[in-house]
Amino acid sequence: MNVRSAAIIGVGQSAYTRRPQPGQSAHTFIRDAVVAALADAGITAGDVQGLAVASFSLAPDTAVDLAWKLGLSLRWLLQDTNGGSSAMNMLGHALRGVDAGAADTILVVGGDATGLAGYGKIAANYNIATRDHLAPLGHGGPNGVYALVASRQIKTYGLDKSDYGRLAIAQREWAAKNPFAVYRAPLTMDEYLAAPMVADPLSRYDCVPVVAGAQAIVVAHPDRAPAGRPGVRVRAHRASFNYDNQEGDGLKTGISTFAAALWDEAGVAPGDIDVASIYDDYPTMVLAQLDDLGMIPGHDLARFCRRDIGERRYPLNTWGGMLSAGQPGGPAGGLNGIAEAVLQLQRRTGERQIENARLAVATGYGMTMYRYGGTAAAAILERGA
Amino acid sequence: MTAGVGIWRCRTCRAALFPQRLLCPHCQGAEFDEDRVYDGVVAEIAVIRHMIGQADWQPRRIANVRTTDGPAITVGLMDEAGEGAVVQLFQEDGAPFGKAKR
Repeated sequence: MNVRSAAIIGVGQSAYTRRPQPGQSAHTFIRDAVVAALADAGITAGDVQGLAVASFSLAPDTAVDLAWKLGLSLRWLLQDTNGGSSAMNMLGHALRGVDAGAADTILVVGGDATGLAGYGKIAANYNIATRDHLAPLGHGGPNGVYALVASRQIKTYGLDKSDYGRLAIAQREWAAKNPFAVYRAPLTMDEYLAAPMVADPLSRYDCVPVVAGAQAIVVAHPDRAPAGRPGVRVRAHRASFNYDNQEGDGLKTGISTFAAALWDEAGVAPGDIDVASIYDDYPTMVLAQLDDLGMIPGHDLARFCRRDIGERRYPLNTWGGMLSAGQPGGPAGGLNGIAEAVLQLQRRTGERQIENARLAVATGYGMTMYRYGGTAAAAILERGA
Repeated sequence: MTAGVGIWRCRTCRAALFPQRLLCPHCQGAEFDEDRVYDGVVAEIAVIRHMIGQADWQPRRIANVRTTDGPAITVGLMDEAGEGAVVQLFQEDGAPFGKAKR
């Protein structure tokens, strides 16, 4: 896809909280994110012609119910069910929707307020394979699945537990500069290594904290961008679904199927990227996606963790990532990474700003079908001229 | 408890599949024979120490097992079998489990 007539012109998010209060729901968090995104884009609800939404806890409402409750009368509507790659997937559809003239302005939103009990039910009933073959084992939801993948990755690439820690600690440093992050206190390696195991070899800080919250972005023709603040363009966007029928080892993701085409279409190389938003439900999968993107020289994951992350040479998940900022459901978690890339490219991230950021990569990864995730998507974003 | 784990074998190309599919991912065959696989080798193990919403949870072990017939299956481990161990597979209410082969 080579979209030339669409851009991201606004972003917004709700507050994030570990414990939603009475009266708060996915709907109310989504409303807050929508209000913020519309204000950021300098448009009103009446300007919105399309809506894309992903949420585990919107049900029994669907996208059209959300449109109704937001007072949006639309000519383009999408509900996405691809978990951690929903955000990136919706972005692709929205870009094409605007590019094709289906809608001039599309609101893309994700949010959840499952609560821990609700999340537990979702994790045990994620699909038929999970319900019938994993949950009865007491597999612990995705933590158990990715614990097995992490063990494979540690063996295959010669990683130490502390390598995952370096990612978590570096992201926590970024989170300290993000007022929306739920965990902002500094994290030391001693604290990381002393944290209780959740699903060996994954401990507390390796597992994404579930929060309630929502995120929204506005996709529109670049002319609709607020004066003096060009929208962020997408040079290339690709997605993959069920890339290997769950017959691999999970150390590669669907990104491996399209990375070469993504870079080729974008006309840039991994080394050109200034800031990266990599979907981080687990450090394991951050490394897998980065490697698939060709962003880890020599596939040396250990060296990347110890040098590039350990020495803070690489601007990765500069809002703290979901590991520190929180995961308001996979869909909104993915949107957070996109929004951070937009803010970085528009030079609006304050003390976490990457100097002269011009190009960003953002990814999504999700839908733990049985042994690992089956969906992935990525985009190369560029600062608008 | 039933000995072995039920798998599905494509009637056209004989590929062994778990869980059940609608079409064979290798040849798109639509018909399958039910079969059972009885042994596997433990490739990776995870200890599930925490379960959302369960305060009195006791740690459990799950494993990725490479079965003798091909498909990798996630099983509950019923003993202290380690990585590399050959395990006997069995099924309880449709869910796959394993224990060290004696």
